[in-house]
Amino acid sequence: MSKKVGIVAGAISRFDNPRHTLQEEMCAEAVKMVLDDVPDLEIGDFIKKGYACCYSYFSDILEQQQCMHWIIHDYLGLSGVPAFRVESGGATPIDAIVNAALWIRSGMFPVVLVVGWEKMNELPIQKVNEAIAVAGDTDWDFVSGFTYNAFYATLETRRMHVYGETEEDLAEVAVLAHNNSLDNPYAQWPAQHGFSKITVEDVYKSRLISWPYRLLECAMTSEGASAMLLANEEMTKKLTDNPVWITGVGFGTDTMRPGDRPDNPAWKGLYPEDERIWPKEIPRPMSPYPDLTNFGSLRVAARMAYKDAGIKNPRKEISLVEIFDPYAGVVLAALEDFDFCKRGEGKKLLREGVIAPDGELPCQLSGALTAQGHAVGSTSIAQVVDVYWQLSNQIGKKWGAPGRQLSKPKRGFVHGHGGTGCQAGAVVLEV
Amino acid sequence: MKQPGPEKLLKEQKIDEEYWAKWEREGGWRPVGWKIVEMNDGPTLNELKPEQFMIVHRPHANFYHHSYGKVSKFFMGLLEGKLYGTKCPKCGLVYCPPRAHCYNPKCKLQETVWIELPKRGEVYSYTVMAIAWPSMAHLQPLVGAMVRIEGTNTCLPMTMRDIDPEKVNIGLKVNIHIEKKPRGDLLDVYATPAEEPKPPKRTPEELKRFKEDMEKTRAWVKKTFGTK
Repeated sequence: MSKKVGIVAGAISRFDNPRHTLQEEMCAEAVKMVLDDVPDLEIGDFIKKGYACCYSYFSDILEQQQCMHWIIHDYLGLSGVPAFRVESGGATPIDAIVNAALWIRSGMFPVVLVVGWEKMNELPIQKVNEAIAVAGDTDWDFVSGFTYNAFYATLETRRMHVYGETEEDLAEVAVLAHNNSLDNPYAQWPAQHGFSKITVEDVYKSRLISWPYRLLECAMTSEGASAMLLANEEMTKKLTDNPVWITGVGFGTDTMRPGDRPDNPAWKGLYPEDERIWPKEIPRPMSPYPDLTNFGSLRVAARMAYKDAGIKNPRKEISLVEIFDPYAGVVLAALEDFDFCKRGEGKKLLREGVIAPDGELPCQLSGALTAQGHAVGSTSIAQVVDVYWQLSNQIGKKWGAPGRQLSKPKRGFVHGHGGTGCQAGAVVLEV
Repeated sequence: MKQPGPEKLLKEQKIDEEYWAKWEREGGWRPVGWKIVEMNDGPTLNELKPEQFMIVHRPHANFYHHSYGKVSKFFMGLLEGKLYGTKCPKCGLVYCPPRAHCYNPKCKLQETVWIELPKRGEVYSYTVMAIAWPSMAHLQPLVGAMVRIEGTNTCLPMTMRDIDPEKVNIGLKVNIHIEKKPRGDLLDVYATPAEEPKPPKRTPEELKRFKEDMEKTRAWVKKTFGTK
């Protein structure tokens, strides 16, 4: 049996905060757009033909509702149809896509609908921070006085210390993401702040959150939904004449607590070529990779996805990338963990314009988490949908911004992760 | 076979049961207020139209009866002003946060043994929080440090006191303290510098920006809490 999994359609109900529309209504908006794009698919087919649904949302606390997917499923008219919910913090939506792809590959389901959403305005912002922070170890991380902002900040401080990244690098990453979002009609940044470009100075003017991170270098908290229709090779070809294929999936993990990583015996010697890159003047931990500087789970997920897709040289073979960037420095770390450059050289790809929209490896074209938005359960699905639109030449139609369509991109790479990189997933998309 | 039998109470700091019972009776899930708003909405920024929404304010709170399990000794240690970690008798790794079972893949989840740890360590990484938890907001700007306690193979995140945020740096030697009146969680632990801090290198612009950020944060704290 073919292991090819096709993307038949994808849709987003835009990110904003607040969006007082209910979860099920935002999901219905996204699924309705999928149905509009696939005239040969009917909701009734799901039960009659043995299709399934995979639901993605992060927090029962944010919405004060357990089993929210039962409400969504019912609302969409899908009662009776097999359905699963996936939850793994920030990795939830990428994990949902990876799971759905594997179900299709297993031969169990010919078609799977993936739907993701989040509501993040129901709690006051400090309680939202708390609801997110309880994804950290509540005995040992949460009660240290650190928010996630603080944990990611300590990871970035380590990158500045070991690799010489600067505050300017972080601000430049934020500028790239925000300016990329300005033509995106699903993005939260332009919805709230208008359509003018920003500069490094604007980032510096935004308030300090947890040094070195400032407001514009942190993910937005968002409300929104997204949907994707995945199918096996045969059904994909029946349902669309403009398919994009998920040719590689990967997932990986790292320790629960970032503080355990420098001397983690499980990682010692796993990536010797990365362990060799370590400045002489800085004391060497037992497992120099990933230390606090990098994300081991991203490395495991990426190499698995590359192997699955038959990619030998990701830098040459991949046309565009969407990185899951809850904080700006994650973009620079991820470029290294994904083998687009050696460790410590993420900043070079930024400074040399490689990841700019007109660069060799455009990244964050949607605006990603800091500008498109971060409605957790929807985030990576929306990022995959953005890359799918690029690969299927639909940006003109879906964004109303034909100028933002890349010229014949061939392969896209999208990743997502949760916690401080505790769990990660990745997909390779191919025309 | 034998039944485990009931728990025997050894020590207790009681909760205010009446307060929580009253909260439940008065609060529960019923709205404590509401509002009706009009806002433009739609699935994309190209399809917005005005909509009306009703929003209720719904309270929710809880407390959990949480056991620290087989690493309870760490927290019992805090009540006595002592710092404990665990050590694997097979591979010798020392954990704080403690683990009751060694996670070194070679050790097959070997049970660890308790050791008392020195109240000294080193900053492995740090941040300066301009937004901390609401209960700690009056301490902003608040230094958070990943501290490697001497002799351990782990970092324990904790906040720092008596330190100029401008001067905290990786490698700084610290003393670890336990609150005089410990409440029984990790927030009872904090660090202070054990040596004269050597600040990180900053460009003049970075230093200027950093100082302004600290001033703004302190001004907010003063305005909000009237202290510091």
